[in-house]
Amino acid sequence: MISIIQILLAAGILVIGLYSYRRLRSSYVDAFLIFLFMATGFAFVFFPGLSNRVAHFLGVGRGADMIFYISILFFAFLIMKLYARTRRLEQIITGLVRDETLRKANDNSII
Amino acid sequence: MSENIFIIVPAFNEAEVIEETLAGLLQRGFQVVVIDDASSDNTGSILKSMPVHYLRHRINLGQGAALQTGIRYALKKGATIFVTFDADGQHDAADIQPMIDLLVNKQQDIIFGSRFAAARQSGVPILRKGVLHLARYLNFLLTGILLTDAHNGLRVFNRHTAEVINIVENGMAHATELLITTRKYNLRYDEMPVTIRYTPYSKKKGQKISHSFKVLQDILLYKIFK
Repeated sequence: MISIIQILLAAGILVIGLYSYRRLRSSYVDAFLIFLFMATGFAFVFFPGLSNRVAHFLGVGRGADMIFYISILFFAFLIMKLYARTRRLEQIITGLVRDETLRKANDNSII
Repeated sequence: MSENIFIIVPAFNEAEVIEETLAGLLQRGFQVVVIDDASSDNTGSILKSMPVHYLRHRINLGQGAALQTGIRYALKKGATIFVTFDADGQHDAADIQPMIDLLVNKQQDIIFGSRFAAARQSGVPILRKGVLHLARYLNFLLTGILLTDAHNGLRVFNRHTAEVINIVENGMAHATELLITTRKYNLRYDEMPVTIRYTPYSKKKGQKISHSFKVLQDILLYKIFK
């Protein structure tokens, strides 16, 4: 029996996977990682028992809990990465604006 | 004296008071560098008719970024003494010369203005006082430097200091960043009592108490990501 949530999750994985593939098509490594991500996702969605067994192996009671914990870590990591990138961009922009400002400076100190 | 003194004034939407603030500096014969941080009022047109060095950021970057731009400019112009001065009229131009004297005579690298260094200061709103005191101990924990006033915009420093300062905190956390720089390069520093005028305007334009959490956040992130 396939439930509604399985269809929703599978559709989500499919869309995200295909979208990532379109964006990162350049490298085989990326394509392989995306394939791996999708395969793992589908496996957990259609064979829920599998995630339970992995969870028990890791010492977590339920598969859903394990995925929840890992997701928290993953998203926290993602936020850090994005923040670091934002800061880097901000510094680049600051540098550009500053250089332009210094080039165009008006010395009216003696009128 | 052969000192080449540059006053660095970051300005963002200060049309109401900028002329008065700068007049006090110009009549004392200082070179004045104003960094217009992409003001949307007519701060820019007022400045263009004044005998100052006029710099404009194309987009608003924040006070820290404006200071760094001003310092870079003054370095290029051969400044030997650098003064940072807020545009909103809270500082008193008369405080500058004693600070310069202290810097030069005691051979210090940087002098921080402090509204609490002497008992003479009154009229600091009580809540603001509390937050500022909290901030100075926090700064002490983060930088190892305990000043009597954590966030005072009036500072005087020499060329060596100007060369090592590289403000990357575009916002208000640059005050703490300067302490970190002071510590890192073992700069000789001192404090000097200065007057802060709490006008209705400067209170409105000044840092909101709630904003201190944002500054704290910036400082902690700076510690992690620098």
